[in-house]
Amino acid sequence: MELPDQSEFLKTIIYLFITYYKIILYGLGVTILLSVVGTIGGFVLALGLTQQRVIHIDKKREKRFKRILKQTLKSLGNGYVTLFRGTPMIVQAMIIYYGIATLDIFSWWNPLTAGLIIVTVNTTAYISEVLRGGLQAVPIGQMEASRSLGLTHNQAMRKVVWPQAIKNSLPGIGNEFVVNLKDTAVLSVISVVDLFYAVKQSASATYRTIEAFVIAAIVYLIITYISSKFVNYLQKRVGTAKVVKA
Amino acid sequence: MKKFLSIFVLMVFGISLSACTDSRETLVVGLEAAYAPFNWSTQTANAHTVRLDGQIGYADGYDVVVAKHIAEQLNMKLVIKAIEWDGLIPALQTNTIDVIIAGMSPTADRALTVNFSDIYYKSEQVMVVLKTSQYVNATSLVDFSGAKVVAQLGTLQDDLTDQIPNVNHLTPLESYGAITQAVRSGEADAFVAELPVAQSIIGTNSDLTFVQFDEENGFVVTDEQVSVSIAFRKSDTELLEQINEVLASITTEQRNQWMNDALARQN
Repeated sequence: MELPDQSEFLKTIIYLFITYYKIILYGLGVTILLSVVGTIGGFVLALGLTQQRVIHIDKKREKRFKRILKQTLKSLGNGYVTLFRGTPMIVQAMIIYYGIATLDIFSWWNPLTAGLIIVTVNTTAYISEVLRGGLQAVPIGQMEASRSLGLTHNQAMRKVVWPQAIKNSLPGIGNEFVVNLKDTAVLSVISVVDLFYAVKQSASATYRTIEAFVIAAIVYLIITYISSKFVNYLQKRVGTAKVVKA
Repeated sequence: MKKFLSIFVLMVFGISLSACTDSRETLVVGLEAAYAPFNWSTQTANAHTVRLDGQIGYADGYDVVVAKHIAEQLNMKLVIKAIEWDGLIPALQTNTIDVIIAGMSPTADRALTVNFSDIYYKSEQVMVVLKTSQYVNATSLVDFSGAKVVAQLGTLQDDLTDQIPNVNHLTPLESYGAITQAVRSGEADAFVAELPVAQSIIGTNSDLTFVQFDEENGFVVTDEQVSVSIAFRKSDTELLEQINEVLASITTEQRNQWMNDALARQN
């Protein structure tokens, strides 16, 4: 297919897609990979991080050393969230990618592996906040009832409070996935070949930039629409989407 | 799920494994793959393209032809990585790449951080404008007085923009794709570009044209500024000498031929 004339906006879009569809689909794959790994990895890590942040300190019964240790863990956890929520991912990407590349210690360190790690540590901070909210939404009576039935504090957290908190958090975590689909575009700054980067490449031979980005917009819209629908479906399955009838 | 996992594993590790089969030394070249005709991306291979490391696309363009020629002459295995413009020098310093062959001008500021080879292409600086622009018939920099001019962040062209009297120097953008769009949409009146880049842009964008200047009416530039060189780590002096030898063996006719071929391959 010949490159269409400047005035042929739609034809140029079709031309660019046909000429670069392999690169664009590869970029789409990377974007989905980043979002899936980032959200699942972020969720698993956030479970530990959140537990660390809401750790129970018994001022009367616990020894001083144990109290200080727990308080330190708590502050470190809060510090992590403040750091990663308080700085843009594009800045984190530049510092982490080039910082570790300078140390030259990991032979597997490349833009993609770095991108996967960056999106995971970033998402961990956000999902930890979602989970903390989920925990706070569990009524205090649940803990009191568990304790009065003879469960220890830790047992009550593990068997009663956390399962409800995770269920409460599912909409927020699903939302985090949709956000990741779009926000991983900033990782192109360290040359991760995601959808955004791939689309930029598709305009590299012809400088038809706006037409290329229309392709990006369409593809992003399709994947975020589908995943939003999927998240809604999941919420209905687990029963967190309660409908309030006015 | 299994399929997804295996694709994932392939994606992550395939990149690092791909370079392990050849016993020759590797020459890892960094370029933007977004600065036609020096370098751009394509998904179809031809006699001039090289697979982009860690991607499924190929790099093509003048820089790629030069890189291939150097690797052949030095009997090295060529690896090309596409890296954003801002990331090229950091990538060089962190050993991610060995050389930058990316249409980079050997400016004095950059020479503080990296070493430059002898020049491997020389051209002139021109102004790209819309065909319908009031600046189409300009013959000197003074004619661009008051114009809105844009350039790529961290480039020679961005510095040169300030030589235009009373220029409205817009905030620099991150790639030539964005700059071209800025002029096409009227956001900017003009941008400064190297002649081959300007030829490449107007070849695919029929609403644009470029303005050339006589020597006395154009930008005040040194020889280094209108040329492009290969960048090296400060410590890599041996490789620099070897590559300089190869560059010296390429005639000007050969260079121009390669550039014209690259321009012709673009669309």
